[in-house]
Amino acid sequence: MNKLKEIFGGDTRQFGMIFALVFLIVLFQVLTDGLTLDPGNVINIFQGNSYILVMAIGMVLVIIAGHIDLSVGSVAAFAGIVVAIAMRDWGIPWFVGILLGLVIGALVGAWQGFWVAFIGIPAFIVTLAGMLIFRGANQWVGKSNTVPVDESFQTIGAGYLPEVGPKTGYNNLTILIGLLLCAALIGGAVRNRRNQARIGADVGPASVMWIRLGLITVAILAVAMLMASGRRGTSLPISALILGALVLLYGFISTRTIIGRHVYAVGGNRHAAELSGVRSKRVNFLVMMNMSILASLAGMMFVARSNASGPFDGVGWELDAIAAVFIGGAAVTGGVGTVVGAVIGGLVMAVLNNGLQLLGVGADMTQIIKGLVLLAAVAFDVYNKSQGRRSITGLLTQNFGRRATQDTTETVKQES
Amino acid sequence: MRSLTKVMAASAVAALALTGCGRADEETPTDTAGGGASGAAEAFPKDALIGVSLPQKTSENWVLAENLFKDDLAKAGFKADVQFANGGVGEQQNQIQSMVTKGAKVIVIGAIDGAQLGTQVKAAKDAGATVIAYDRLIKNTDAVDYYVAYDNFKVGELQGNALLEGMAAKKPQGPYNIELFAGSPDDANAQVFFDGAMSVLKPKIDDGTLKVTSNQTAFNQAVTQGWKAENAQKRMDTLLSASYASATLDGVLSPNDTLARAIITSVKAAGKPVPVVTGQDSEVESVKSIMAGEQYSTINKDTRNLVKATLEMVAALQKGEKPTVTDDKSYDNGVKVVPANLLEPLIVTKANAKEAYANDPTLSKVTG
Repeated sequence: MNKLKEIFGGDTRQFGMIFALVFLIVLFQVLTDGLTLDPGNVINIFQGNSYILVMAIGMVLVIIAGHIDLSVGSVAAFAGIVVAIAMRDWGIPWFVGILLGLVIGALVGAWQGFWVAFIGIPAFIVTLAGMLIFRGANQWVGKSNTVPVDESFQTIGAGYLPEVGPKTGYNNLTILIGLLLCAALIGGAVRNRRNQARIGADVGPASVMWIRLGLITVAILAVAMLMASGRRGTSLPISALILGALVLLYGFISTRTIIGRHVYAVGGNRHAAELSGVRSKRVNFLVMMNMSILASLAGMMFVARSNASGPFDGVGWELDAIAAVFIGGAAVTGGVGTVVGAVIGGLVMAVLNNGLQLLGVGADMTQIIKGLVLLAAVAFDVYNKSQGRRSITGLLTQNFGRRATQDTTETVKQES
Repeated sequence: MRSLTKVMAASAVAALALTGCGRADEETPTDTAGGGASGAAEAFPKDALIGVSLPQKTSENWVLAENLFKDDLAKAGFKADVQFANGGVGEQQNQIQSMVTKGAKVIVIGAIDGAQLGTQVKAAKDAGATVIAYDRLIKNTDAVDYYVAYDNFKVGELQGNALLEGMAAKKPQGPYNIELFAGSPDDANAQVFFDGAMSVLKPKIDDGTLKVTSNQTAFNQAVTQGWKAENAQKRMDTLLSASYASATLDGVLSPNDTLARAIITSVKAAGKPVPVVTGQDSEVESVKSIMAGEQYSTINKDTRNLVKATLEMVAALQKGEKPTVTDDKSYDNGVKVVPANLLEPLIVTKANAKEAYANDPTLSKVTG
């Protein structure tokens, strides 16, 4: 049994979130007679929630830094309508449209970051104002109308990888990406282990690493094969590809770069961080700006998926993103949380939502159940911490072979 | 080491199960693709799943529609999946996708925003389902098969006729002084109502029977932003003081009941006799007003009939027949002209209110 614990990183109970996700998938798979893991449905789950998950990535960094952003839905809607109108009236091509959207996000983010970081107004207030300002801006720019976007732009929200190569019964590119991802993970873990061994660190038994890698590889390949075996013309959605790339990128930034560590340091204990030479204002500014950029991207992905930008896009998204982050093990007080955790938290909500919809549970009950799950997830984490165990968060990071974050949070905790 | 073996075994089983899953579905692409190509016209089993995706649960009409769909689909032997999208467009999109996954043969959609569902109705179409737009047209996609709604142009015509009849009953000989009100410019239906009414009124204006004293006869002059009562009331106040110091106002074309009551309020405040005012929607307050002899008419668009027409369409599709289509020219959604089954709205005045609302539990009390 010890081996099992090591595989899951110390204590099986702390592995709650991934278990919860697996449990939900299995539960709904049984309840829906196998519809949950139907290829089309797996694709839907990713396509229908990628934009929320993209925002959750930005939100977890904001929350780690000790802030909150309530404006993401409005910012997403604002960027969406400006891009839609720019493409319709100025005839700019889709990639210029996307660039324009990201620039708008950056400007909006700089505006909000300025008030938060340099004037020192709590982010709650600044983004509450932003929520009103940019919702109004969306309706003012779009005159409360729905503006359609053309097909080339729709790819980022509704598109799939093309069919190439020999007919294998699967989408070849999807399988290829799955294999590459597995190879990269295995390669990275092996190299990591070798490096650690070289500097004389304790690396643990090799069998544990291999089984852990085996499980992850099986999971990735299973998802890849499911997505690749859907209806012809569907495969890995482009939106999921964007999400995946962002998870890798931000996972790397948050755990392996100086700026990433600084975010944890500022959120854990701002004064201690400043005394250690962290420029906390700069960190706060960047975190807020980054959030708005990702919100704009999410807005554009939604517009692409909806084929049009409407006056009520983004209403309530901030709550979905924040819920994902907290289910994913972040702490309200800041300093704790991971990108991967937030995405898994978002997936728990997504699978729950999808399963309840497949079962035909009404929108009213769905909201009640989602609320209870949010409360239960956070209560579970708080209980665990009060028992002197590490948060789920630390474990997730550990599971990915990256001890850095956890160490940082631990250090910060000790400092405070 | 024994536990290690267990884990190995477990993961191997998991791997097998999952890959098995992938292979089993290998056949599906060709199957569904084949079904999708010819599926629309083919009959499907009598107990098939029918999805109904409705917008936010905000008005009584939608709640009534939900209950009717649930009960009547079940009565007809279908499996019904009726859902509201209280969370907005994103939720409705996911709901429709879920219905596709569950293999719904027909998906009835009352869109929150008809322009934002292109991807989902395409997925439905590709999976071989028939898509029916209910009450609100789904735009900018070729994947919507039918449209069921009340004929909004007809609503306008009926309002125009009611206005003429009402004024003739009060004063047999013209000319009549009238004013025109239209709905909100961001609502596509507002223009249709107005055009319908003007198709009746314009000839009479041209031949001098009707006189629009303010000369505001264009749609953009007559609009009421956001369908707001206060805006209509303000405009009526202005019109009265500007043009009716000495002239009598005989009639007002109002696109709906809320605006009609605002117009009546304004006229009363100015101390003038209440003119003939049209309406629409059968709101309780307006029906009371009609019974009291103030507002002249309203329009009854009974949700029961709309649901009934939709279910008849579903029944026809189930048998592989072509459903009833009354208009295959008017409803261009930007990509294709959607064949529509348009229901005739019913004009209601004091004369026929009792029989018109006989089936309505709330309104029958008001009229009885």
